Amino acid sequence: MDMQASTHSSALSAVILSGGKSSRMGRPKALLPFDDKPLIAHLVERLSRRFADIVVVAAPDQTLPSLPVTLVHDAVAHQGPVGGIYYGLRAIRGTAAFVTSCDVPFLQLSFIDYLVSQLDHNGRGYDVVVPVWQDRLQPLHAVYRRRVVPHLQEQLATQRLRPVYLYDTVPTRKVSAAEIKRFDPEGLSFLNMNTQEDYQAALAHWRTLSAPISCTVELFGVARLTAHTPRVPLVLSAEATLGDALTVLGTECPALLGSVLSADDAGYTSLRNGYTCNINGKDFVRDAHTRLRAGDSLLILSSDAGG
Amino acid sequence: MYGFHGRLLRIDLTTQSYTWQDIEASRLRAVLGGVGLGASLLYEYAPPRVEPFSADNPLIFTSAPLVGTGLTTTAKYAVVTKSPLTGFIADSLSSSFFALELKRVGADALVITGAAEHPTYLLITDTGVEFRTAAHLAGLSAQETEERIRYAVRTAQGAEVRVAAIGRAGENLVRFATLSNEGRHAGRGGVGAVFGAKKLKAVALRGQRRVAVADTEAVEKIAITLRERSVGPHTAKYREIGTVANLAVFDRLGSLPTYNFQNTPFAQAEALSGESFITNGFSQTHGCAACTIRCERLFQSLSGEAQRLEYETLFALGPLCGIEEPDAVLRAARLCDQHGLDTISTGGTLAWAAECADKGLWPELHATGLSFGNAEAMLALIPDIAHRRGVGAVLAEGSRRAATHIGAEAESFAMQVKGMELPGYEPRSLKTMALGLAVSPRGACHNRSGAYEADFSGQVDRLQADAGRGALVAASEDFSAVLDSLIVCKFLRKCFDDFYVEAAQLMSAVTGWDYTAANLMRVGERINTLKKLFNMREGWRPEDDWLPARLLTEPLSSGVVQGVSLTPDELRLMIQSYYAARGWNEEGLVREEKKRELGL
Repeated sequence: MDMQASTHSSALSAVILSGGKSSRMGRPKALLPFDDKPLIAHLVERLSRRFADIVVVAAPDQTLPSLPVTLVHDAVAHQGPVGGIYYGLRAIRGTAAFVTSCDVPFLQLSFIDYLVSQLDHNGRGYDVVVPVWQDRLQPLHAVYRRRVVPHLQEQLATQRLRPVYLYDTVPTRKVSAAEIKRFDPEGLSFLNMNTQEDYQAALAHWRTLSAPISCTVELFGVARLTAHTPRVPLVLSAEATLGDALTVLGTECPALLGSVLSADDAGYTSLRNGYTCNINGKDFVRDAHTRLRAGDSLLILSSDAGG
Repeated sequence: MYGFHGRLLRIDLTTQSYTWQDIEASRLRAVLGGVGLGASLLYEYAPPRVEPFSADNPLIFTSAPLVGTGLTTTAKYAVVTKSPLTGFIADSLSSSFFALELKRVGADALVITGAAEHPTYLLITDTGVEFRTAAHLAGLSAQETEERIRYAVRTAQGAEVRVAAIGRAGENLVRFATLSNEGRHAGRGGVGAVFGAKKLKAVALRGQRRVAVADTEAVEKIAITLRERSVGPHTAKYREIGTVANLAVFDRLGSLPTYNFQNTPFAQAEALSGESFITNGFSQTHGCAACTIRCERLFQSLSGEAQRLEYETLFALGPLCGIEEPDAVLRAARLCDQHGLDTISTGGTLAWAAECADKGLWPELHATGLSFGNAEAMLALIPDIAHRRGVGAVLAEGSRRAATHIGAEAESFAMQVKGMELPGYEPRSLKTMALGLAVSPRGACHNRSGAYEADFSGQVDRLQADAGRGALVAASEDFSAVLDSLIVCKFLRKCFDDFYVEAAQLMSAVTGWDYTAANLMRVGERINTLKKLFNMREGWRPEDDWLPARLLTEPLSSGVVQGVSLTPDELRLMIQSYYAARGWNEEGLVREEKKRELGL
């Protein structure tokens, strides 16, 4: 089981495009308040858990609150996503960047980690990793290597402003809906806001997601005998992952440490060889970044099935 | 020759004679020992279309190159014959000291043909064979027979023998009778009944012949590594709980068949779980000879007897029959062991009968009181099966033949493949396993492939069928064939970093022949193709690779797998992918070029 702790990647950056027109919303989407803080501040805070280098691309005349980011402005306004990606990638310090728009309140870090990991999928080097959700490419929730900058520059020069031209040119890994659903079953990552109604609906969902979630760990076999209980209720933070749940489980049931769980020096806990996880009796999961949802049951069982 | 004796012992019960014959090295190299050598000898020594209960059906014991090397979990033997339950190959494994003694007799195989006129047991030593009367052993359990023979030989000759024997069920030709030694069983396919047909009650062994290995140092080094790994986390389940650990997990995953495969999960799964058995009951751990895993668990029944219990027994005599009380399952398991009955087929046949009773299809059952959940009625019927008394005489034929006796409706819920009752893996929620069960040469079998591993690992979507499953099942069957021919216990399977590479190193060190991972994989394919060729010769038809109608018409209706089904088209798709992966034609027949390619 490969369950590595999430790490801050110094080679990678994040880019937030905040220069959109916001015409239907009637006010800048980056500044929409969530919990009394502008949305862009939330995005920066969340992405900073993964990326030390964050670049915000603003429109030429756009003002933004003070943020711990590199702020750049489009030299030419409103060239669409290709323009924003181009200016953002030029400013990053890393070799690649996760690029997002500024109006997506529900970014899933575990899914972003997965996208980043796909740059080297099956040993092949990709220049772009882009999800396909509901049959549409999601260029503003994608990972780009810095070396695509010349291609973007040429696209801008020739007014080919659709990102798909880039995907046809450089090695591009398209991430399927089935893959996305492993991390984000409802596709919340792609939920953006264009109208006041969208904003109100997002706010309501935000309040739901911010609350801690309750999950249950169900123990089978040796794990149950070791812990002397068949199930352990856990209260986890709103965005808890499988790895987070195992860490809390290790705290709740220290007897499992050493036999079923192992904790590294950083305090991060994973399953030992010989054990596996299943969520809700349905999906076998290997990735420590798998996002858990309220009410999930996490089954811990021997990986040696049958016999 | 290293690793093998290079000869077999032919025994004719009719003429009470025996001969030693050489086995050519090329054959041993091509099929190893165990089920591989057994399948090869069966093909040679069984006359085509032989009737399983006829004197001509050979009963073949095989040893294997790793037996006696000291490698953990290798004290095993195979017994191979034409199955009276399926009419196809029966290749069963058992283990422990009898297996070690078989190797010491000085033969890689015993090929027993003919039939004795009176009840007989064989005393086989490295100098010859004695044909002894077994009249005084008639009706005794395998365990009692073993004890009597061991005592008699010890008293008369001052020698220790190891014994494999049948119980009442084998004597009475119950088609799913077992052969047992030291509390372990060659369980599936009815080899015990073939013993009975030959009036052979038991085989007793004593020998002192050793087989050298080519590179003692290398073998010892590998033995140490495997021994260390065998007590690591990959075997913890077997060491701490035993296979009964499967029940609670299977139930939670919607993969525990209940009430004759009518549904899953089981309301009382918690009470019947392996974890509860361990927590609530007195248990002992046992192990086979030369085994460091020691998976065997004995649990104490309310009457104080210690009874061995495996998952398959627990499933078949528990949830499959709607039985909720742990003690009833222990008592039923004990009755099966005492009478020499395969617990899976016994449970499967009783569950089928319980459904017949519920549906009013078999009036004679009424007097027995049999219904799902009626433990006392079930317990009373087990000896009746072994004695072939009353309805027990029909049940002794297994669910497929018994259903033919009752009628077409009853045939639709006889849960068998090729006549062999299904093990405890719900095919609708384990699609790779569904294919494995359908195509297995010996009938519905969970041992000659581990197809379920793909389903339980998340390697595939276990609830969906697709054309990728054929290759997975073929690979799993080949892997199992090599394990079962070396022989290494399947519970050691996860203890190899790269099984074929390490097994090739091991076989090279043992035999001195140059094995590679690639040619060992070829050996696996060769053995499975050989089994198929045997079945083809015995009348296999494409419809024999199929699942019971229930599984293809009734979706699962509750639990996490509610609404999950398996359609005939999905099964057909997977079967075609299996034939394609095997390089067989679309009807599942082995092509001539494939035979040539495999040297068959």
